[in-house]
Amino acid sequence: MTPTNLIACPECDLLLNPAAPVVGDKAHCPRCGYLLQRPRKQSIERVFALSIAGLILMFPANLMPLIGIKVLGTTKDGTLWSGVVMLVEEHMWGVAVLVFFSSILFPLLNIILSLLISSHLYFNRPNRHLAQWMRWLQHIDEWAMLEIYMLGIIVAGVKLASMAELHFSLGLYAFVALLIVTGMLASSLDKTLFWRHIGRLRP
Amino acid sequence: MTSQKTALAQGFIRCHDCGCLSKQAEQNNHCPLCGGRLHPRLPNSFQRTAALLLSAFFLYIPANIFPIMTYTRLGVGEPHTIIGGIFALINGGMVPVALLVLVASILVPLLKLLGIGLLLLNVHYRWQAHPKKWTMMYRIIAFVGRWSMLDIFMISILVSLVDMEGVAKVIAGPAATAFAAVVVLTMFAAKTFDPRLLWDKQD
Repeated sequence: MTPTNLIACPECDLLLNPAAPVVGDKAHCPRCGYLLQRPRKQSIERVFALSIAGLILMFPANLMPLIGIKVLGTTKDGTLWSGVVMLVEEHMWGVAVLVFFSSILFPLLNIILSLLISSHLYFNRPNRHLAQWMRWLQHIDEWAMLEIYMLGIIVAGVKLASMAELHFSLGLYAFVALLIVTGMLASSLDKTLFWRHIGRLRP
Repeated sequence: MTSQKTALAQGFIRCHDCGCLSKQAEQNNHCPLCGGRLHPRLPNSFQRTAALLLSAFFLYIPANIFPIMTYTRLGVGEPHTIIGGIFALINGGMVPVALLVLVASILVPLLKLLGIGLLLLNVHYRWQAHPKKWTMMYRIIAFVGRWSMLDIFMISILVSLVDMEGVAKVIAGPAATAFAAVVVLTMFAAKTFDPRLLWDKQD
């Protein structure tokens, strides 16, 4: 296989000369309008820094209670993990696995892979697994659903507000911070730039 | 800058993972940049999408008929279907949240099933008109799909919090598994659909 300098639009396969947009610009496909590239300022450095911050926030967000209720004097706290455990106890295996993957495992993998890739690129260290990691990161991306979980917390809170006394715990603040960090992480990651560097670092 | 020619027509293949474009060869169909397997289009895109869509369609029926959760309060059980839960929110005066759940749990899955079905019909009958609009529809479907997980996360939170024997208890119902499967299957269906098929039949 011989590589070429041309590029193709991933959604309509139009053959194109690569545009070199500067930071703040966007390159769109002239035929279907697909966003080809949107360069980010200091993409590698930012992804590196944000993934460290995200990894630290993963601990309080996962281990501390997010929200608690109080009914007739009995209090009950909920963590990310306790929902999965209760679903398993009720033999809802499929739902439990799905919730575990999309709210705990994939967000964690997402951050670990971002950290691995960006640290290698930042320090210019070649690694034969870089392409594999980047591929996994791209596949996992849409299955990490922290922002939807947050919406779930809000709707559950509204439903419970009429029957119980709600209180928000420290874990929730960590969770919201994690949400902001992962959102910034996703928007700072310039895939085109990352792949170009991975290609350059190939052993 | 544009030649209005597709990469495939010129004998180029774009790597699905890293976007590298390379000249098609007889053997050794691996990407020169990242080493991934090369396919001119996503393999068996139409058949895979159709199979996933059909499975999702049949599971959509039990997902709406059976209770998604049962709320037991002081010994009295009250099963809720997805629609029943929305009515309960409206009766409780929480119309905005009811609308949110209506969009995420009813409208999005329904429109996704219809939309992907239409995309498949478009490809099968080689409709020539408005490929750009069809691509836009594909993008919207691929983007909104994950938000249907809202109901699943909400149940996971309610199940872990409302767990007080004799006072109040929420148990997930069989529709939760069916609904989760619908969300996952339609997400996979959107992922296996290759939007370039919408453009391949032009002229």
